[in-house]
Amino acid sequence: MLARVADDLYWLGRYLQRAENTARLVAVNGNLQLDLPRGLRTGWAPLVDIVGAQACFRALYSQAQESEVVRFLMLDERHPGSMLASLSRAREILRSVRGAVPNEMWERLNELYWFVRADGERALSPRGRPEFLARLVDGCLALTGILVCSMSRDLAFQFVRIGANLEQADMTTRIVDVRSTSLIEGVASEQLAPFADIQWMSVLRSLDAYQMYRRHARMRVTGVPVLRFLLQDREFPRSVSFCLQRIDRALLKLPAQRPVTQALARVAALLRDADLEALIRTGLSGFLDEVQIGLGVLHDAIHAAYFRRDANPSDLLRS
Amino acid sequence: MSAGWQDYRCDGAYDELFEAPGWPRPAAQSLWAYLQARTPQELAERRLAAQLAIKTMGVTFTVCAEGRNLDRAWPFDIIPRVIPRREWEATARGLRQRATALNHFIQDIYGAQRIVKDKVLPAQVLAESANFRPQCAGVTPRGGVWAHICGSDLVRDADGTLYVLEDNLRVPSGVSYMLENRMVIKRVWPELFETTPILPVDDYPAQLYDLLAALSPRAGEPPTLALLTPGSYNSAYFEHVYLAQQMGLELVEGADLFVGDDDGVYLRTVYGPRRVDVIYRRIDDLFLDPEAFRPDSVLGCPGLLRAWMRGKVALVNAPGAGVADDKVVYAYVPAMIKYYLGEDPILPNVPTFLCLDEKQRAHVLANLDKLVVKPANESGGYGMLIGPRASRAEREEFGARIRAQPRNYIAQPTLSLSTAPTVTDEGIEPRHLDLRPFILSRGDGVYVTTGGLTRVAMVRNSLVVNSSQGGGSKDTWVVDADDAVARAESPGIRAA
Repeated sequence: MLARVADDLYWLGRYLQRAENTARLVAVNGNLQLDLPRGLRTGWAPLVDIVGAQACFRALYSQAQESEVVRFLMLDERHPGSMLASLSRAREILRSVRGAVPNEMWERLNELYWFVRADGERALSPRGRPEFLARLVDGCLALTGILVCSMSRDLAFQFVRIGANLEQADMTTRIVDVRSTSLIEGVASEQLAPFADIQWMSVLRSLDAYQMYRRHARMRVTGVPVLRFLLQDREFPRSVSFCLQRIDRALLKLPAQRPVTQALARVAALLRDADLEALIRTGLSGFLDEVQIGLGVLHDAIHAAYFRRDANPSDLLRS
Repeated sequence: MSAGWQDYRCDGAYDELFEAPGWPRPAAQSLWAYLQARTPQELAERRLAAQLAIKTMGVTFTVCAEGRNLDRAWPFDIIPRVIPRREWEATARGLRQRATALNHFIQDIYGAQRIVKDKVLPAQVLAESANFRPQCAGVTPRGGVWAHICGSDLVRDADGTLYVLEDNLRVPSGVSYMLENRMVIKRVWPELFETTPILPVDDYPAQLYDLLAALSPRAGEPPTLALLTPGSYNSAYFEHVYLAQQMGLELVEGADLFVGDDDGVYLRTVYGPRRVDVIYRRIDDLFLDPEAFRPDSVLGCPGLLRAWMRGKVALVNAPGAGVADDKVVYAYVPAMIKYYLGEDPILPNVPTFLCLDEKQRAHVLANLDKLVVKPANESGGYGMLIGPRASRAEREEFGARIRAQPRNYIAQPTLSLSTAPTVTDEGIEPRHLDLRPFILSRGDGVYVTTGGLTRVAMVRNSLVVNSSQGGGSKDTWVVDADDAVARAESPGIRAA
């Protein structure tokens, strides 16, 4: 397989996963705002923090009200991480690697893309939003479904899955980071205390994890067990540890590259050994930053091992 | 008669299906017998079915409009164009002869240049040729073949004569549409394949694959073949993907390739470098290798020309083959056929006036209102003047251009291109068309497609058939006319 095609497939996985997560994030935040008393509403700005696009947002918008943030996250192609930009780039990739994935993906992705282009404005009003976002999430799930159900477990598949899992691990870390920081700081605030559980629930819901948490964690929805579920659970598909496990399995099918397995092992160990009880008291952000850096190192290692297009040709021949 | 056939007129042009209104040509008899029994509604349904098939099959071409790249569904007409088998066999002989002479010519130009020394071709033509690549001098590709793939455009004038309008030797495109048109028409009119002996077209990918594989410089080892594309924004990208898939070639972009210290060309794969033997390149010469040609090109691969010159990789078509794809050189092809093969040309050229010749230029300037003027090196139907349809100001502007750069222009009489009935929103109407067959040259023989790609000017009275400018296409049937009559009488029986 060509390095360029592998690179494209990896990003295809990332963009599709990113599009789905973004839609969920917006949906859940809308719900949360309705549940919180007016004075305590967290508003929409934290979503911009979650996707790490504060600078880009400030350059484009003067205020962070609902409609601005939703437009920025969903429809604004000037924001490279927006839902529409993700779909549009996934589409460009599919156009050139169509032969490697089931044909039906191309048709479904086109459908979804044109749907967002035509009906995107519906996401801006609280009334039209739920239905619009539900259809988006359905569309993304259908694409993943086609991959999982109709694609041979060849190299192409492994690269898409590595991309998707790395993106999910990244997204989960970001959601936990932004949401829990305000929660943990808010422990002191007596006003907020009655609503803390609602917010922890919304963290779970952002990741479609509420039901599975209830089934498997069997605990009250509160700080440490929620964090444990989202970061360390080995069975929930959006937990960071689960995603890393999946990447590990996919790597077994690729030509072995030591720096990649090492980078993966390092970030997996970081999560496994984390003492969340202690961390939640002292502050989680430093730890989550470390995890994020670890994921970044893993991405770089994968890139260097499999996609190196700029590498010196003669070195390639000798290695 | 139904479906509007009673109003069908041929308007002075040669019609491919009718000798006269209501009188089909022999090879088109069974087609017409079938079509005229269809109601307008049925015809509309089949047309819709064809559009749907094209959409589902994803047959598109890319146009650049308003600064954006748009994927357009391939415009297609459901009434096939019919060519009698006997006529086609003679035409194919003419095309083989032409391709053979062209390859002799290119080999000569990059070698001894006998044709110039013998004063058959003026030295000035070569000196001012935009497609002559001095870097290629002294090279002999395997079998002496430079233009492995040639797409020659044929047009028919009012008296029925088929002319060669031009030979595309750089990166001719359209063959995938020829193949897809047949797939679509089989879905639209499956019944007709029972009653009409239509020759198949689908062995082209296999023929091309054999040609490419035979060029591998590493004999005895299974060759690695690649199709080099400029990328997904190229107007022919659909075709690149299609052909790569049909032949099992790696579809690569310039950045996927590198040339090693050993001058071999390698693919960058996830397993590391993999040697590539033959590259079917769909990138123009000048973008192939920034070390040899345009240094700003990011589409090609540095060192590719060097690798080719050392015989480490085969390039199809060979760099420099475009020297014969020039409308001035075109005028000399009949002379070339005589010079290299000692034969009379089987297919005529369209009479061509060369503006670089003073007398001919004077004639052209005096008759701009009657002639078609074309730049020597454009393709895609761009930059030409159709004299009878141009305004006085446009003609004057072109006159000035010709005087400034005479070598760059040729002129031809305005042919009244032949027509065929076409389903339009206004009913069944004649539309002008041409034909692009594809010719594959190997060291040991020349293959010609059965028919080719028929391109149609979808706009009434228009003569511009290029898909980049609103052209469409038809399936092209080479039909055994003698057999067709017998077959029409016994429907349902298919000869082996």
